[in-house]
Amino acid sequence: MNEDLQDKIISLSNGSVGYKEKSRAHKIIKSEISVYALKGELVAVIGENGIGKSTLLRTIAGFQPAAGGDFRICGKQISSYREKELAVLMSFVSTEIIRVSNLSVFDLVSLGRYPYTNWFGKLLAEDHYLIEEAISAVGLQGYEYRMVNHLSDGERQKVMIARSLAQNTEIIVLDEPTAFLDLSNKYEIVHILHRLAHEKDKTILFSTHDLTTAIAEADRLWLMLENSVEQGAPEDLILNGNFDNIFHSNHLYFDREKGDFRVRKETKKAAHVTGEGVALDWTIKALARNGFEIVALTDPADMTIGVNYPEWSVIQGSQQIQFNSLVLLCRYLNSLNSKGAH
Amino acid sequence: MAENGLKIAHQNTRGYRVLLVFALLVPLFFLLDLLVGSFYISVPEILKAIFRTGNVSDQVVLIINQFRIPKAITAVLAGAALSVAGLQMQTVFRNPLAGPYILGVSSGASLGVALLVLGTGGLLGGSIVSAVSSWGIVAAAWLGSGLILLLIIIISARIKDIMTILILGILISSAISSVVNILQYFSNEAMLKSFVVWTMGSLGSVTNVQLSVLFPSVFVGIVIAFLSSKFLDAFLLGENYARSMGMNILFARMMVFLSTAILAGSITAFCGPIGFIGIAVPHIARMTLQTAKHSLLVPGTILIGALMMLISDIISQLPGSEATLPVNSVTALLGIPIVIWIIVRNKNTARL
Repeated sequence: MNEDLQDKIISLSNGSVGYKEKSRAHKIIKSEISVYALKGELVAVIGENGIGKSTLLRTIAGFQPAAGGDFRICGKQISSYREKELAVLMSFVSTEIIRVSNLSVFDLVSLGRYPYTNWFGKLLAEDHYLIEEAISAVGLQGYEYRMVNHLSDGERQKVMIARSLAQNTEIIVLDEPTAFLDLSNKYEIVHILHRLAHEKDKTILFSTHDLTTAIAEADRLWLMLENSVEQGAPEDLILNGNFDNIFHSNHLYFDREKGDFRVRKETKKAAHVTGEGVALDWTIKALARNGFEIVALTDPADMTIGVNYPEWSVIQGSQQIQFNSLVLLCRYLNSLNSKGAH
Repeated sequence: MAENGLKIAHQNTRGYRVLLVFALLVPLFFLLDLLVGSFYISVPEILKAIFRTGNVSDQVVLIINQFRIPKAITAVLAGAALSVAGLQMQTVFRNPLAGPYILGVSSGASLGVALLVLGTGGLLGGSIVSAVSSWGIVAAAWLGSGLILLLIIIISARIKDIMTILILGILISSAISSVVNILQYFSNEAMLKSFVVWTMGSLGSVTNVQLSVLFPSVFVGIVIAFLSSKFLDAFLLGENYARSMGMNILFARMMVFLSTAILAGSITAFCGPIGFIGIAVPHIARMTLQTAKHSLLVPGTILIGALMMLISDIISQLPGSEATLPVNSVTALLGIPIVIWIIVRNKNTARL
């Protein structure tokens, strides 16, 4: 099935991004970008540091001119929009943490009404309504008159998202909105973005380094690789192997089953593992970290590790040793390894 | 909806109440400023002299109408103008230490004055007290700061990054100060003294005739600042956010720089460079009004600036003595402890 051009809210074909240099020529950072985003989609831009995610987002947001190709927003070239026209179509959230003292949450979010208010920025009843609605949409009702510099980083980023909601645009572009946040805030912010895209039918484009949340919540990924930019549902890109090429590192590989990057470890010994439940899962993780290959019971192994939470046993030949925590088990196994190396 | 309206009204009343308090304090201190001086005049006499009712001696009428009132009005204008200029610079550069002179407006003015006083002073002789040459100083300072304004506007139209503009402003100021130093080095003692006296600042040398120029200048600068309050709110989030909300950055910058240069330039021209008010007052306004909205901060800084300058002037008169202090020293000695107190009390102020 082909997607109709009219549904493509953001559409790049053969685009290239970069910076203007002294010679008036562009230093191209990334070229041959042909990707798009449909209405109501949450799109995550993924790629290594320095691959040009920020430059791409800044170009789409209209902060810098494209170095070439076709960049369209709602069917029209980005460069053909005037600032004011773009401001009612697309809002922006940066990675920068805004630290302004004596600025209340309400006043900050009300700045989102900037393109709609009169010369003095007077808020009308409709503006008040939209501001309150935006504050509730990010779950900050009751915070209206708190000062933004007294909020946590996660709350502050939600306020910035509320500000972009108050701007009432079809598109929201966010440059690494979760960069400074802890794990739970990362999940929460990306989840809020997912909900806004689906419930309010907004097209939301954000860059991130956090693959787990992107895979879990994004409808579409723009995967910036060294030689190309690929797009598709996260699962498409995992299945067709594009994920393996994100990092140029021999130490990292993408585990398709777990949906996560892992550090390649040299396996030192093979082990049978018996047991069941969550304790078994976590024991296998601990063994993998310590360089043990878990083999099927029919294959030969150096030892058998039995899990009977809260006890673990190691059987080597006729010898059996009991442990009551994984840390003790791992220390014992490592001592075996180092002996083996000698 | 009605509930929201109430909440908003509740939040903003604090700002308006504080504004009202300052609006009442300004006339009170204006009157106090009229009271102090080397010659004692009672309040009823002052009021009679102002409204020209009842019998007061011609001498009292002269002192009040020709000296004390122009000086107090100048204090109000200087305090308001420098504070609003400082507020705009702190917001646009997102820097709590920015002040009205950060763009080099005052060094431009001082170059103009230095060229006039030190360059032509030798031809006119040592005493430059006549009205004509005081207009000359004003014109020279205006010309100097106007040229700097032109330079800044040309730079800001060509350079995108606001921090680069800040650095260029500081560099231009330093370069001009060096030229002024060279002029001082080659001038004689009498000329040097009259230049140094100008740099100390004075509210008392502004005549009623000069006020008729100073007042409209400050008025225009403040009107532009009021018109820029929405731009200034957007500048708080930085230029990227401001642009993404549809603000025309170049136009907004021009408005703010024009207002700042008119305000700081005209006060420097008539009173000399007056320091610290422009840096301290915006912080006091943010602290007392508990807001970052410029529709409240602009009137707030006008009132607090006027009040601070009246207090500085009263102190510089050293009530009860015949001597006076240079007003520039008083504003610094008054402003610095306030800034220190604010920074120590609220660490976040360091981030504006």
